[in-house]
Amino acid sequence: MTALTDRYVWAVLRAVPASQRADLEPEVRALVADAIDARNGDPALSGEAAERAALTELGDPAVLAARYADSPQYLIGPRWFAEWRRLLTMLLPIVVPIVSIVVLAANLLSGAAVGAALISALGTGITVTIQMLFWFTLVFALLERFGDQELSTGTPAAWTVDALPELPDDGRLGIFEVASTVIANVLVIGGILWVQLQPPIVLDGQAFALFDPALWSFWLPYFVAVSVLEIAFAIALYMRGRWTMTFAIGNALLGAAFAVPAVWLLQNDLLFNPALVAKVTAATDGTWLGVTGVIIGVSVVAIVAWDAIDGFRKAIAASRR
Amino acid sequence: MDLTELLAGGRQELRRGTVVLACLLLLRRPGYGYALLDRLRDLGFAVDANTLYPLLRRLESQGVLSSEWNTEESRPRKFYRTSPDGDRLAAELLDDWKRLDTSIRALDQGDPE
Repeated sequence: MTALTDRYVWAVLRAVPASQRADLEPEVRALVADAIDARNGDPALSGEAAERAALTELGDPAVLAARYADSPQYLIGPRWFAEWRRLLTMLLPIVVPIVSIVVLAANLLSGAAVGAALISALGTGITVTIQMLFWFTLVFALLERFGDQELSTGTPAAWTVDALPELPDDGRLGIFEVASTVIANVLVIGGILWVQLQPPIVLDGQAFALFDPALWSFWLPYFVAVSVLEIAFAIALYMRGRWTMTFAIGNALLGAAFAVPAVWLLQNDLLFNPALVAKVTAATDGTWLGVTGVIIGVSVVAIVAWDAIDGFRKAIAASRR
Repeated sequence: MDLTELLAGGRQELRRGTVVLACLLLLRRPGYGYALLDRLRDLGFAVDANTLYPLLRRLESQGVLSSEWNTEESRPRKFYRTSPDGDRLAAELLDDWKRLDTSIRALDQGDPE
């Protein structure tokens, strides 16, 4: 045994679980010694050449170790590959354009140049693609290694005919329903950013944000977050393919999460920029402000309520089909 | 794809399962890793060292081979031998092999139906 053999044995052992090492070491050493002995009979080979040839025959220690450890030598095997590909090919074409468009809109609305906004949107799209690929692959690689052993043996034992997808029919959601929800929420997010960061309201040469800037501490980010959730909800709904009671309830809750705080803020005169209100009140008699507030509040409640009821109506219709 | 490539792939597929059966049959008489590798190669089973040795260990953990360190010779060696379970497995596999051989021959000589 020379340094070369010791290095080989060490390279194998360090790559197998600690519990197997003590047991495996004499075995690997014996195999190497036998392989060297077999070559020592050959007068054309020096001792070192015989050792080299023997170790070369045993091959990459990492491969030998992986086979001894009986761990998969691939990232995602046949059990999970189809699922992995299906999820990525379904999600990437939906999520990446939406995120890119949101970023583009936000950039344009906050006054960035068109070129810069496009570059920013493209960069975000690439980043999101890479992130999604990475995290999905990581999750599936972990499933491959630590998931249910029965499932990961490569046989589609877990599959039953009940898992067959529904045939597309009239109850199937169109892409337009999703797209309209996404666009509406992108407009809400963009609108909030626009009237606050790039205020279009200019009175006497002074620009006023529409909403109270103090709301940045919580409520404005909250409304942006709810809108982002609405977009995620629309995508989830599209992937599910049809309305269900769970989706209808989720839809109503999301609507309430938006409308209730909005109306509460409006009612307590906390929503609009006090500086703007003072300016307008000083310039006019101000009674119309209250009327406008009531109209906005009623509209928000009406839209959200209609949307919530519509969700339940579609869920019931889909369940009858 | 050219024919040699197809042939290599087809051969690999065909041989994959036969190494297990060959080991179970050969190790009815105890043998150690390197000698078994040598013997298999002489018999025309193209098997790599780094496939065979882990395979022996796996078959042992599955209970179809048993092992014993032989310290009588100049150097200790791990000798494997087919266990009674291994004998039963080998008999079953051998039956399958014979049935397959019969079927393939029949197909080659023209489907009787």
